[in-house]
Formats: sequence, structure tokens, C-alpha cells
Amino acid sequence: MTLPSKLTPEQLYRTCNPQEFSFNTTADLDGPVIATGQKRAFDAISFSMGIKHDGFNLFALGPNGTGKQTAIMHFLGNSAPEAPIPSDWCYVNNFEKPRHPKALRLPAGKAGALSHDMEQLVEALVTVIPSAFSSEEYQVQEKNIREQFQEQQANEIAELEKKGAEEHIALIRTPAGFAFAPEKDGEVVKPEEFMMLKKEEREAIEEKIIALKTAMQSIMAQIPKWQRETQEKIKELNRNIASFAVKPLIAELRTEYNEIEEVSRYLEILETDIIENFDQFLDKESDNKELLPGIYPGKFSQKGASFNRYRVNVIVDNSVTKGAPVVYEDKPSYQNLVGNIEHISQLGTLVTDFTLIKQGALHRANGGYLLIDARRLLAEPFAYEALKKALRTRHIRIESLAQLYSLISTVSLEPEPIPLDIKVILLGERYLYYILSVYDPDFTELFKVAADFEDELPGDFDGKLAYAHIISSIVHKDNLHHFDRGAVARIVEHGSRIAQDSTKLSAHIQSISDLVHESDYYAMAATREIVQAEDVEHAIHAKRFRSSRIREKIREATLRNSILIDTDSEKIGQINGLAIYSPGGQSFGHPGRITARVRLGKGEVIDIEREIEMGGPIHSKGVMILSGFLGARFGTDQPLSLSASLVFEQSYSGIEGDSASSAELYALLSAISGVPIRQYFAVTGSVNQFGQVQAIGGVNEKIEGFFDLCNARGLTGKHGVLIPASNVENLMLRHDVVTAVREGLFVIFPVSDVDEGIEILTGIPAGELDKSGCYPSDSVNGMAVARLNEMAEKIKKFSSSQNDDDQ
Amino acid sequence: MPERQKNARIRHIAVALDCSPHSRASLGAAAELARLLNAELTGIFVEDINVLRMADLPFCHEIRMFTAESEKIDASTLERSLKVQAKDAEESLQRIADDLMIKQSFRVSRGIVPAEVIAAAGEADLLVLGRSGRSPTCRKGLGSTARKALEEGKKPVLFIRPGFSAKEWPVLLLYDGSEGSQEALSAAISIINPGMRLNVLILGETQAKSVEMEQALSEIMALPDSAVEYHHLPLCAGKTLMRYIRMVDSGLLVLSERMKMSREEVHQLINEIDYPVLLV
Repeated sequence: MTLPSKLTPEQLYRTCNPQEFSFNTTADLDGPVIATGQKRAFDAISFSMGIKHDGFNLFALGPNGTGKQTAIMHFLGNSAPEAPIPSDWCYVNNFEKPRHPKALRLPAGKAGALSHDMEQLVEALVTVIPSAFSSEEYQVQEKNIREQFQEQQANEIAELEKKGAEEHIALIRTPAGFAFAPEKDGEVVKPEEFMMLKKEEREAIEEKIIALKTAMQSIMAQIPKWQRETQEKIKELNRNIASFAVKPLIAELRTEYNEIEEVSRYLEILETDIIENFDQFLDKESDNKELLPGIYPGKFSQKGASFNRYRVNVIVDNSVTKGAPVVYEDKPSYQNLVGNIEHISQLGTLVTDFTLIKQGALHRANGGYLLIDARRLLAEPFAYEALKKALRTRHIRIESLAQLYSLISTVSLEPEPIPLDIKVILLGERYLYYILSVYDPDFTELFKVAADFEDELPGDFDGKLAYAHIISSIVHKDNLHHFDRGAVARIVEHGSRIAQDSTKLSAHIQSISDLVHESDYYAMAATREIVQAEDVEHAIHAKRFRSSRIREKIREATLRNSILIDTDSEKIGQINGLAIYSPGGQSFGHPGRITARVRLGKGEVIDIEREIEMGGPIHSKGVMILSGFLGARFGTDQPLSLSASLVFEQSYSGIEGDSASSAELYALLSAISGVPIRQYFAVTGSVNQFGQVQAIGGVNEKIEGFFDLCNARGLTGKHGVLIPASNVENLMLRHDVVTAVREGLFVIFPVSDVDEGIEILTGIPAGELDKSGCYPSDSVNGMAVARLNEMAEKIKKFSSSQNDDDQ
Repeated sequence: MPERQKNARIRHIAVALDCSPHSRASLGAAAELARLLNAELTGIFVEDINVLRMADLPFCHEIRMFTAESEKIDASTLERSLKVQAKDAEESLQRIADDLMIKQSFRVSRGIVPAEVIAAAGEADLLVLGRSGRSPTCRKGLGSTARKALEEGKKPVLFIRPGFSAKEWPVLLLYDGSEGSQEALSAAISIINPGMRLNVLILGETQAKSVEMEQALSEIMALPDSAVEYHHLPLCAGKTLMRYIRMVDSGLLVLSERMKMSREEVHQLINEIDYPVLLV
């Protein structure tokens, strides 16, 4: 068998040649960020933005920090300004049903003007109406009407009084009303004199009095009617005067807004209301019944807050908007999305009116685009449901949550819903998209388009140039020092390292942005005007160092032999596996000792980790696969007569993953065959039942972990790591590792089969079956078979002696 | 003010009270004057004998003011009501007197109202009464008591109507050089509130005489020039005079019965004019 050759330094690290770039520093790059490698996502965005039907809202999915928002904003930055500017919206009082404020739609920029005009109107009315009502003309007319009533009443009574006087009957005012009595010379006849009159005379007087009394009663019955008539006349006069004062002012507004039908209608109703309620403009001081304490009542307060009813509450003002609005709602709570109706405490009571209606992000983005972080949206109570409702009904209906759930019970409003025409773009992790797709039937109806962002960019020239532009845009945006092309190239290389792929670049813009900022800091500390590659290197190193405490502790324990890792000798049944630790987002590799022991048994492999439930399912699966391999290789002619136990020594927490399965297999082979394994190698890679070595993750960290330990103990030139051959493309190793390899102090073997691996690890060929179906006796397999046969014999012997004893 | 002291002949003011709006205005004006002149104030309440007599008539019914219901009059209830009214009147007199720190007395008598009022006012230097009282007709002209006081009563008499505050009266004096108008001038000066304007309407037979009167007046005038304004009108009466008085729109009108125009003309003017009037 031909053994794989050691990897060359070039295979360990794909350098980015600064000479590839035509620019000197990022200052030369001022064009737009060229997005590359996200064609799928961009096509989806373009499709979603272009299609006008309902439900084609967008969910942009991808890991956080991959620049989804930036990409969408960039896309919308080109298309949104070309779109028509949406209408303004405002709420005005509904004079017929104040609980249901009316929504007015106006052309962009007109709502603010209307609000201003209404303020002016009220200012004007405050002067015009009082002056109309204090005019002499009005005073005279009003006095005339009142006097007319007095006169009518007086004349009727005087007439009756006169009639009575002709018949010597006086009309007398009593404390509670009127009475008639016979009089003589201006005095009421004394009772005794009256009694002395003849009976006929008395009766005649009595009759006269009854007649007069009846007449008097009929006059008095008419007084309320006259009063009503008088009141009506005064009202009519007031209306005429108010109308005369108000009409020209409103007419002016109506001419101005005559093209907007809704406003014209509103002004018509407004005019009637002002005329009906003209008196509020007269009594300035006392009319503060609707004054709301605790809040600045605005300009109208000086004239009494009852003028609130004539205010215009501008909900959406697009006067300075260019094209369609693009809104990113950072806190997508229920109120921030659909708006709110605020209340004010007035003497312990919560009160509100249409001026306290507050807009939400849906209002602001109406006619345009609304971007929301999906996780934040789902974390806000009721917000997701409210958003879906708005999209489904295509209306924004502001409802008070507290009212809806009966948490408070006070007067609230039901503002007229505003029609909604919007594209909503949710940004979130992939798992959110998948969960919502499965569990929420509405979701797939409302968010029909998914823009699936790549985690990686291609590592070709376009990708590298895109990186340069991204760096340039970060530098420009945050006013940092510019990067020379060497520094850019180093960041590109780091991008490959983050991507764990020498042919790709990470799309995790957040990490790149962090590195750019950190490099800028070190350049500044070194008083350099331009950030250079060494600043980037410094930043990468410093970041690694900052998070190295646990790594250092483990290495220290290993160097002190508290953790036993042999990197020097050769041992049977013992091998160095490579594990990845990921505390707090940073990951690093470190070798771990794996041991295998065999004894007589029935062919089972005991995974100690699984037995004590410290091994995860994938790890157990790996162990079972290698048992399958062992069985297939050695147990086809006779049952395996051994029991093997496998363990990760000195592991005090769980083990997961199958990347150690090849190492475990080598340890087992060594234990069975009795061939020692070279402890100056470490191994990673999973195996399948045919013994092929398969790719694993975190290859760079694993190699570096072993390298660091060997380096600390002193590299001798024989130290090395066996990695799956399919992981070679993932290699982006640290410079010190690459240098050690270049100097022949460290080796890395790409292994594709366990037989290759065992030969490298033991120096003895694995051995292939000869024609007779046997392995050569000096091969590892041959020695294993010999040992197994020996064990089978022992078992056989043991069983027969056991049987003899039984008999 | 020495001038005021000299001209002050009013030491005792009588005011007729009957709980009507006119009478409340009269009380306010009288009290204000009493404070100004440091005079004693007497309230006069007359229990109307006509009402009491009527209650004793066998068939008399009262028509209630606000319901137009007719009900038999009960003499004892009526007596009680009159007592209550008298008490109300006394209390309001007392209140205002306490407020303004003036001396007051209250008198209740029974009889025909106009005659009793005039008789009771006999001892006073000035009688103050409403232009009309509780008369049923709400008439525009003078009430029966005021009419009688005008015709037969002692002068000076002050007719009050609601809506004018005695504190803020500018005064309009009718002056034609006669002895009566001289007296009216003294009266006007004595009752004018400090700081208020005196309008003098000079009624001269000719323009020249009118100017002459103004000169004579300004020489003897006890008030500073800035407080006096002179108006001129050819000697006239009736509607012309009334229109002019309305035009000046001053508060209290002061005039004398013994002027160049006839007593009847004066009475007619008082009857029709819509301002408070002090007749000397």
C-alpha cells in the first residue's frame, strides 16, 4: 500500500496575494459594496419586492451577522427612491361619533400643512367670533329679541289689568303669583265691605274674577312657548352671526383643499360644528373642562383645550420622504408596530381623545418596506399576531391591548382603520424560518418568499474584492484608518479561516467588521496612518489570546502531567485523539488520550462513555460502526472471542461526535494486535464500516491544539497529526504551524483509509489478504488475527474444562 | 373734601325693599351712596294691605307663577310669606351694611305700598327706590310706587334700575342755569364717586348763552377740569333730549323738577328714560 505523502506548507494555508488587488489602500475603493455569492438570496429579494400580490412578503434567513439587513437595505436603497411617495395620513375628530376618530388620506406633505392651517383657523376664530358677537349690531339685535318677549308678556298682562280695572278688579302680585280682587279707589275692598254687598253683586264680581283668572291662566300657559320662541330666535341670530364670521375663513381652506374630497367633506362638517359651538370661542377662561393636566397642551391651550377637537393629528408625514419609505423597527413591540392610544390621568381618571393616537412602524412604512428582526418580533407579546392580522386584513387597526384583554376599563377610542400596502421583510436565523413554516399555517401564506443567505462567499477574486469593498465601507462608515492591500489580504485569509474552508470566505460580516475595528485600534496604537497586515495579525492574535485562559489552563495541566498525554513514546492500546472545546463562542482543540483494552469475551466493544451516559448518540454510533468494521474484518471465519473496552481518559464531561472513531479504531487494533502506537501522533477522523476515514469539523483547531502541546514540550520533527484526506481543503492553519511544517518539525498526513493510518501510526503495514485469505503474519492485521485465534483457543479450552467440571 | 362736606345735606337715606331685582339694585346703590356720604341707611318694607285684604275675600284664588295653577289663598300662609320676605329684605340690608360699615335700620309697616313708602321716607334726606317693583306687568315705565313718589313725594328721590353699579357711575347732569339745575349740580357733585367723570349737558336757549353757562360753571366748579366734560344742546325736551342722553350713555342722570322745561316734561323724561335718575 502506498502511504499518503505529508502535506506541503502550501496545502496548509491558502495565502491571498496582495498583488492580486489593483488598489493600494481601501481609500481607493469608494464604489458601492459589490455583493457576491448571494445570488439566490438577491433573486428572492428582487422577486419579493417586484411582485405586487398579497402574501409575497420576505423572510431573509441566515446566521446573524451575515449582513442580511445591509444587503436588503442596499437593495432597497436603489429601488425604493424610484417608487412613488405614499400618502400622508392624519386623524381628525369625528364630530358625530367622537369614539371613532376619522382617518384622512392626503397627498404627501399635505397633512402637516392641513394641521398648520387648522391651527391658524382656530387662532383666527378666537379673534373673529368674539368680535362678531361683541359688535353693536349683534347686541342690539339680541336686546330687541329679548325685549320683544318682555313686551309681549307685559302687554298681554297690562291688557288684562286694564280690562280688570274697567270692572274695578285689581290685579295683585302675591308672594307666589297673581290674584284678582275687587278694588275701590285703588285699594282692595275690605272683606267686611264686600260681605255687605248684595248677593247678586258679589256673584257678579266673582264671575268677573273667574273670567279674568281664566284669561290670566291662558296668558301664563303661553309664556313658556314665547320663551322657547325667543330662545329659538336668539339661537338663529347666533347661528347667523357665527356663520357670517366663520364661513369666509373655512371657504378659504376649502378652496385650498378642494381637490381632496375627504378634506372638503371634513371641512364641511367642521364648519357646522364650529357654528353650533361658537360659544367656546367666546368664553376663554372658564372653558377648560377638557384640559389635560400632565401634558403640554400645545398652542391651543392658551385658548382652552376644547379646541383640541379641531386639531389635526398627523400620523404619517411624508413631506420629506423620497420614494417609498424603508423602515427598520428595532423594537417591534405591539404598540411600536400598530400604534397606540395613549391615556392621560385626569383627577385619577384615564381619559383620551384622538390627539393621543400614536403611530406605529406600520404607519410609517405604509406604501414602502418594513424590516423587522424575527426573533425580536416573536419575543414581543402579541406583536407577531398583530403583524399577521394587519397583513391579512390589509388594514392597520389601532386597538388598546389593555382594553382588549380587559386589563383596564376606561373610555377608549376605535380609530378608523387605515388601509395598508406594505412589504414586510423579516430577518432571522434559519431555525426560526423552519419552525414557523412547520407550526404556523399563516406564516407560509403571508411570507411566501424566503431569501436564503449563504454562510460563505466563493474564495475567488470576486469574493476577495467584495471583502475589500466591505472593509472599505466599514472604514468609511465608522471613520477608521484605511487598510492597505496587505491588510485586506490578511483579512481575506482570516475570512477563509472563519469559513473553515480555504476555497471559501466567511459571509459573517460581523466578524469581519469586528476584526477591522480591532485592527484599526492596533494601527492607531502603533501610530500608523494606514492599517497594515501586521495590525490585522496583531488583532487576530490578541483576540485569540484574550480568550485563551481555559486553553492555557488545560495545556498547563498537561505539561505538568496532571492530564496524561504522551507525545514521545510508543504504547499499545493508547492513542492521542483530538477534541474540540467551545467555551463562550471561541473554540480550540486539545489532545485527549483514548485507550483500549481487550480480554476474553464474546466480541462486544464496550464504550465506557456510553455505559455511564457521558457519550452522546453520535459518539455511540461511531463506536458501533467501528465494532461493525472489526466484526467484518476479523469475525467472518469465527466469532470474535474478545471483549474490548474503550474510553476517553480523564474526561470529566460528556463526549459527543464521531471524529474520534478512527482514533478509537487504531487503539483497538493496537490493543488486539499488540503493536504499539506512536504517541507523537494525534489522530482525528471518523470511520465507516468499510474502514474509510471521513471528514470532520474543526480540523484547524484540532491540529493547532496538538501542535501547541508538542511545541511547548519541544518539537523534534517526528510530531504530527493524521487528518481525513477530505479535510485538506478546510486547512487554514496558523502561521507558526505552517512554519514548523516548512522546517520539517511537524507533519500532517491526509488519511483516507484506516489501513493507511495504522501503518503511519505503528510503522508496520496493515496487511492485505493474500490468496489464501490470510493476512501476512508480520502485518498489524496478521498479528491481530493471530491474537484473536489465540484468544479463541483459550476460550475453547476454558469452555471444555468448564464443561468437564460440570459433568 | 371740604366742598363735599359743605354741600352734603344728605345724612339719612331711605330705601324701599321688596325683594324684586329693582329693589336689590336700589339697596346696592343706596348702600354705596350711604358709604360715600357717610349717611345712615333705613330699609323700608311694606306689607301690602291689598294682598292681605284679598286673602280674606271668600272666593279669591292665587294663580301660581310657574305652574299657572289656581289655588285658594290662605291668609295665614300669605302672612307667613310676607314675614319671610321682610326677613329676607332685612338680612340683605344687614349684610350690605356690615360689608360697607354703614349704619342701618329697618322698618316694616303695613298699608297701601306707595303711600307707606313715601310716608316712611318722610324723615329721610333721600329716598331710593326701584323704577318698578313686583308689579305683575314687568312694565317698562315707572312702577306705581315710583310714580307716586315722583308725583307727590319729597325730593330728592333716586330711581334705580338693575344693571348699573353705583360704584362706577359717571354722572350726567342736565343744566340750564335755573335754580333747580343749580341744586341738581350740588347734588351731583355731592354723590359723584371720586375718579368718575361728570358730564354736564348744558341746555341753552342760544349758542352764546350755552357757552356763557359753561364758562360760569367752570369757574365755580368744585371738581377738577379733567373730571368734567361739557356737552351742549339747544333747549329742548322729549325725544330729542332722550336720544341725546342715550348717546352720551352716561350712568346716572341728575336733574331737577324746577328747570326751564315743564314738570310734566321732566316726569315724562324720567318715565321713559332707561337710566337711573336722581331727581332733585
